Amino acid sequence: MNEMNIGRLLRSATTGYVFGCSVPEPEVPHFGMFVKAPAQRGQSEVVGLIYNIAIEDDLFVRQMAATPNLSETYIQDQRANRQVPIEVSVLCVGYRNGGQYAHALPPQPPITLDWINTCADAEVRDFTQRHDYLQLILDAPDAPADELIVAALQRAVESRPPEDRERYRREAGRELAKLLSRDLPRLQRLLKRLAP
Amino acid sequence: MTDSELDKFGIFKKSDAPRDNSIGIVIGGSLSKGLDVRLDFGDVEHGVPAGKIIEDMAVGKYVVIGGKSKKFFAIVTDISLDSNNPDLPKAPPDPDDTFTADVYGSSIAFGRLQVSPMLLMDEESKEPRPVKTIPAHFSKVYEATPQDVNLVFGQEDASHWHIGSPLDMEGVKVNLDLKRFVERSSGVFGKSGTGKSFITRTILAGIIKAQSAVNLIFDMHNDYGWAVRDEHGREYKGLRQLFTSGVQVITLDPETSRHRGSKVDGTLQIGLDQIEPEDVEMLAGVFGLSDVQVGALYYLRRKLGKQWIAQLLDEHDTAAVDELEEAEKVQKGTLRAIQRKFEMFRPDRMGFIRNGMPPDDMVDYIFNALNRGTNIVLEFGVYGNTLAAYVLVANFLTRRIHAKYVDKKNKAAGQVGEEPKPLVITIEEAHKFLDPDIAQHTIFGNIARELRKYNVTLLIVDQRPSGIDDEVMSQIGTRVTCLLDNEADIKAVFSGVSGAGQLREVLARLDTQQQALILGHAVPMPVVVKTRDYDEKLYEAVVDSVGTSRKHAERKKAIDGEE
Ligand SMILES: Nc1ncnc2c1ncn2[C@@H]1O[C@H](COP(=O)(O)OP(=O)(O)OP(=O)(O)O)[C@@H](O)[C@H]1O
Ligand SMILES: [Mg+2]
Repeated sequence: MNEMNIGRLLRSATTGYVFGCSVPEPEVPHFGMFVKAPAQRGQSEVVGLIYNIAIEDDLFVRQMAATPNLSETYIQDQRANRQVPIEVSVLCVGYRNGGQYAHALPPQPPITLDWINTCADAEVRDFTQRHDYLQLILDAPDAPADELIVAALQRAVESRPPEDRERYRREAGRELAKLLSRDLPRLQRLLKRLAP
Repeated sequence: MTDSELDKFGIFKKSDAPRDNSIGIVIGGSLSKGLDVRLDFGDVEHGVPAGKIIEDMAVGKYVVIGGKSKKFFAIVTDISLDSNNPDLPKAPPDPDDTFTADVYGSSIAFGRLQVSPMLLMDEESKEPRPVKTIPAHFSKVYEATPQDVNLVFGQEDASHWHIGSPLDMEGVKVNLDLKRFVERSSGVFGKSGTGKSFITRTILAGIIKAQSAVNLIFDMHNDYGWAVRDEHGREYKGLRQLFTSGVQVITLDPETSRHRGSKVDGTLQIGLDQIEPEDVEMLAGVFGLSDVQVGALYYLRRKLGKQWIAQLLDEHDTAAVDELEEAEKVQKGTLRAIQRKFEMFRPDRMGFIRNGMPPDDMVDYIFNALNRGTNIVLEFGVYGNTLAAYVLVANFLTRRIHAKYVDKKNKAAGQVGEEPKPLVITIEEAHKFLDPDIAQHTIFGNIARELRKYNVTLLIVDQRPSGIDDEVMSQIGTRVTCLLDNEADIKAVFSGVSGAGQLREVLARLDTQQQALILGHAVPMPVVVKTRDYDEKLYEAVVDSVGTSRKHAERKKAIDGEE
């Protein structure tokens, strides 16, 4: 997958941000996707994982929902020209400063209306070479951690050439085992989903 | 910033640190009880599937612990399984779920070693020294390399004799320091059929080759002099064949020796008139003589003179014995019991015993031979099956040879004559000689205890070390122990060895043949070896050094042509 603009930042904090976009494409945005936002006037880039996509209603939608015999054109028009954007919540799992990624919270969050981009395969690969970000996911208070871990790791696996995938899965599994060695049932559930 | 510094902040470049060849780290322990080592997890990517490190371990293997400036050598004494989570045994991965099992095996479940540190080597010291401290927490642990082992056991040379190889290290030589080996009494122990005689023969060949001592070998089962056959019919050379000069075989049973095709250099006969109560006393156990009966022996000798045994056995002229009986100095029952037991001294029952005095004084002959540096194998032939004969002869000769050694040593101390050559006396079934009841006052007990005051030491070969007097056992300098499975025997072998408890498991796990644990005076640290094959290679190694070797080599060269 290549990098692409998928929305603009609505609000942000050190631990995460929310961006808005219009009608979702079938492929983007989706749960567990790696995205990035500029910060510190472009000095750094905050890497995050999408953990929630919320589509809120507005006055028009409510009215239309109650309208009988709604025409397809209206529906399409409402979707394309929404009053309120779709809200996508992102968990910060690291940042890039110069050429290097850090698996830690960013020094500064991105600023409103900054463009949000998806991460290209090469970036995902680079970022997920180490697994320290998994701890940030486990610690996140709002995100569904286990689901997010599975989704993120699947994405990390897919970003790699097929001959590398098995090794990567095993490494990631080992990392999870380290983090969750105290909670075997949970670990076992995760590993089952990660297994090829 | 270096990579590792970056790591601390969770900042990193592409890095894939190569695995070093360490197998684990030290996580606890003590000098007295041994160290706790946590084995590394498996790592398939680097060719180490989960569990391989554990399964490749073995008690008795060597490990090296530590960094660049200080290295500890240790021996593995126990292996166990452990995990990061005490619940793991209750929630093991589904055996069919190989992914999970693999992940567990490389991150939660691990192996543990108990290792016993033995030697320390640091940069200044050339020689490894005994440990007085232990490596710090988290020191890395490595499997010992051939270089490490060579560093500890040194090179084979004139006085270091290759005796075997460490476990899983074929080609690496463990060498016995023969000078130290003969300095104190030594022992070879092990259950029947574990290879005691073979390893003893190997050691003796080394001692003879190195001339670190002369040997007097009481060869109970005809194992040492001439050819021996094993249970598969393979034939092995005896010492007399390996060393064309320098070894003589004296037999008690010329007929059997002849049948076996054994070359003999003399025949030992013992005259009834030579036997003293002290020679018989040691048979108390074998004969079942009571203390009273043993006391009576001395009385009989005093009253009846030199021919006391002959008189006791004489069925026609019973006057002297009858007289004693009438005087009631000795109880009738006692007398009869002694007579009955002495029946076996009749020359027609024991071919090597004769009436009166023997034609040659073999004690002198043997003593002189030993002093010339000639090793003596005393072959028992059929009499080896009669314990009483074996004990009697060994005791008889040893007492007299030892007395001559004491005499010669004392003269040498007074500047008359030269020092006697160090002598090693090899006895089998040693517990019959060193039983706690008699070890206090028998010649063998004395020799073991007096150390090498008179240049005489023992090499005892035994399958029941628990039957040997504790004090004697604690004087044994070097112990070569094949498999033992009796608790009491295992305990006996370790008596007087500090920190030995940790080695028990090692000993109990030896192979049933050709493996031995060697510890003590002649090795820098305890070592488990696969003992050296007793074969042509060994024959050659022996020949190379003896007087005949040069001639042999020249002849071989002449035949083979120039190299
Ligand atoms: N170093 C060796 N080289 C070759 N074969 C060996 C060696 N050690 C042991 N063996 C084999 O093991 C067998 C038993 O060895 P050995 O006779 O030395 O045992 P042992 O302990 O003396 O037995 P016992 O107590 O019955 O006298 C030998 O016959 C031989 O086949
Ligand atoms: Mg034997």
